[in-house]
Amino acid sequence: MRLRVLIALAALFASASALAVAAPTTSLDITAKSVDFFSNRYVVTADGDVRVRLSDGTLVTGQTFTMDLKLNRFLVAGDVRLDGPAVHAAGAAFAGYPDLDRSYFLPAPADPAATPERWTYYGLDWSNAHAGREQPGDAFHFPDLTGERPYIYAVGARITPKTNVLFTFPRVYTAGVYLPLPRYVVTFSANSHFYENGFQGARSDVALPFNGSEHSLTALHLRNDAFSGTYTAIDQHFVWNNDWIVASIDPLTQVQRQYNVIGFKTFSPKVQGRLFLQESAGSAGIINPPIINAAAFTEIQLNAGLRRSGLSYTQDNYFQQLLGFRTPPDELMSTAFYDPRWREHPMNAALTWTGFQNSLSKNSPISFRLRSGFGWAHDAYGEGGYVNEQPGPKSLIYHFAGGLLSTNAIKLGKGPAPYSLTAQYDRQRQWYSLPHHVDTGDGRVSLSRELFRQHVSYYVAYEVRTVGDYWGDRQLAAYPTPTDTIVTPFGTYGGQSAFRGFATSHGLSASVVYTPTQYVGVNLLLSRFYDTPGPIPGAYGQPPVQLVGDLRVRLSKQVLVDLTRSYYFNFANERWTPQFGIQFLP
Amino acid sequence: MTRRIAAFFAAAVLLALALPSLAQGTLVRVTGQLLDVRNGFVYFTSGDAFKLAAAPRIADYDTGKPTTLQPRAKLFARAIIDPATKQVVELDLTTRHLADDAGYASVAQQYAQTKPTTEPAPEIVGQRISGKEVPVTFTVTVPPTTPLNSDVYISTDASNWNPQAIKMNRIDGQRYRAIRRFASGTKFFFRVTRGSWNSVERDQSGLEPAPHEFFVREVDSQGRDVTVYSWSDDRANSPQQAAPGAIPTPFNPNPFPPGGIFPPSRATPPGGFPTPRPPAQPNRPPR
Repeated sequence: MRLRVLIALAALFASASALAVAAPTTSLDITAKSVDFFSNRYVVTADGDVRVRLSDGTLVTGQTFTMDLKLNRFLVAGDVRLDGPAVHAAGAAFAGYPDLDRSYFLPAPADPAATPERWTYYGLDWSNAHAGREQPGDAFHFPDLTGERPYIYAVGARITPKTNVLFTFPRVYTAGVYLPLPRYVVTFSANSHFYENGFQGARSDVALPFNGSEHSLTALHLRNDAFSGTYTAIDQHFVWNNDWIVASIDPLTQVQRQYNVIGFKTFSPKVQGRLFLQESAGSAGIINPPIINAAAFTEIQLNAGLRRSGLSYTQDNYFQQLLGFRTPPDELMSTAFYDPRWREHPMNAALTWTGFQNSLSKNSPISFRLRSGFGWAHDAYGEGGYVNEQPGPKSLIYHFAGGLLSTNAIKLGKGPAPYSLTAQYDRQRQWYSLPHHVDTGDGRVSLSRELFRQHVSYYVAYEVRTVGDYWGDRQLAAYPTPTDTIVTPFGTYGGQSAFRGFATSHGLSASVVYTPTQYVGVNLLLSRFYDTPGPIPGAYGQPPVQLVGDLRVRLSKQVLVDLTRSYYFNFANERWTPQFGIQFLP
Repeated sequence: MTRRIAAFFAAAVLLALALPSLAQGTLVRVTGQLLDVRNGFVYFTSGDAFKLAAAPRIADYDTGKPTTLQPRAKLFARAIIDPATKQVVELDLTTRHLADDAGYASVAQQYAQTKPTTEPAPEIVGQRISGKEVPVTFTVTVPPTTPLNSDVYISTDASNWNPQAIKMNRIDGQRYRAIRRFASGTKFFFRVTRGSWNSVERDQSGLEPAPHEFFVREVDSQGRDVTVYSWSDDRANSPQQAAPGAIPTPFNPNPFPPGGIFPPSRATPPGGFPTPRPPAQPNRPPR
């Protein structure tokens, strides 16, 4: 009996080990006289004394190597030797197809009288050559790189299929020159989470990814923004199929730093969670404790898919003045303004249910979507803060219900270029424990048309948005008559005295898109807003008339120039926006 | 007489046409890219091996004169085969990229020495891909609450997941469109964003969906419609999201911030440093 169990276990281990070897390689370590990367084609080539070590230790040597990173296939050709614990063979070429879990080999018979064969290996199982098995017609083809210039020259590379390439001692093409670096990682993963970071927006960002593996990426950034100037930042990614974490310090080399962590977890196909932690701290040097000040912000999001609906929980926490304020003598902060409530931590939490989009009836172009929820907010200063509630309660409970009614695009007329009509209306009421309630409404209707022959499409849209804060008998106490005229550095603006807590915005927009060729596109959007109360520059409101122009020109296969500029018709002495928005995109 | 003259000319023309063939004997030519030359065989990237003659002539492809090039992988070559012996008697080399040889298959079938494959491989799915440019139209239906002046983008793995990779044009109150050309056979993944990874598409349940997969087929044009039900920065209890860069308005942010008048304007994070808060400075509606 024991013998049978032993045999069964042995068989189990044997099958397990057979399964283990019948798997594609998880990495390729390449050394050669020259290793090049062609970024336009996602192709890595290597020439001269090429040595490719597969993840099981098998060594493939040859004259030349090429790998299409996107197609996930590689080729070693010319005087090829295949050496491993279970294989020693010489041949003309070796092609690896990890996605098919196959390797194709052209052995070179030592005897000139012998007939050449084609061998196929399964995964990393080198014990069976499967001679005479059908192979892909282009298994041994080289990619055509005519006219392509390498983006990177290196002497070695470690390729993690479907994820990244780590180049050792590369020279990277930057601003017209090849810049020598100790390491450089090119990530080509289909997983977008390798590219999400916790940085703030910047005018420019040059990344230097210098370390990476199947599940990680480390990058140094050189950034520039209006507030901090030019500075460095660093981020570290850990990425799995459905989960990821990114930690960053931005800026790294300035006194005022932000430490960010974003974590995303898929607990099940129907439950996801996201955590964002941010600490802002000021300290001289990188490793010194913060001495100037520190504050933090956290956000927790949990989403769950229900039957034809979704549930989401969101919680924001604010941690102001983490260090508190020192008693005198403190040359950095005057204690005259000290308020113990600075140590308090405002918080807001909300649970929201959102239904799926449902049609009013079968074949109806009208659909609706409902939502509701409740929440709790807390701030030591008092929530609300209206004139009639001084100070407001420290904690506030609210609940809300709303819905969206919308149409599909409804064709009007017949022919090759009919008009298309869409309409929608969103309405919500939110009740507060204060007590008062806020009603919001947003209605929009648009008429559009596409003239395919003229390469033109255009639409006009009319939108009405309303916000009303209802206090009942206490309306005028909450909203006493404000000053009618407000003087700002941009001028004097009147018409404010009518505000009683109800605001309305009417907007009329017209847009035209002209794409005469596949290389050029022009987009113009003209908007006119009528807001009550009227807009006050620097305080609230939007320019009454806005024109946004967008010109896109494709200069080459890889370079698209996007020029954007806005005109505000002298609102707040603003005509053209201060600068062009220019983007070079692939 | 006329017939005799015509026959004479016809014979002369036929002879002229046949002369080069006669001069070259019955040699057969095949062109391709080399993988290797070793152990008496020349290997092409088709995987076919041709037997080399004892002392094959190595020559320049363009001039036919002796060359300093040595046969090696990646070089293009013309193999001249003697049908009688089925051996390559001359190999003309060049570093130039040569066009595909239309007659390669028929020659290889007759003269290649490689054993034919006998076992089928069902995992290999044949598909003819020419790599021609195919215009692909993306049409994205956005949540109706998306502001009219919002920019919507498509981010793809082919552009390193730049969240602003492909800017779309709004074509009506609900839809955006963009047309891009891709080589047939291209396979990529994409997501819809509003320009940053803080504002990316979500499904009806509010969950993050898997990226959309797209394969460019061998067709004249292709299209893909995507519906975005919500954005990751949407808050159901604050339907009036602030548009990035916009001047504050009664609506943006509105004077009645939902969620319990929160976050208060004095709360600096995210993105900023705390400043001393003057005591009892409440939020106020616009004045």
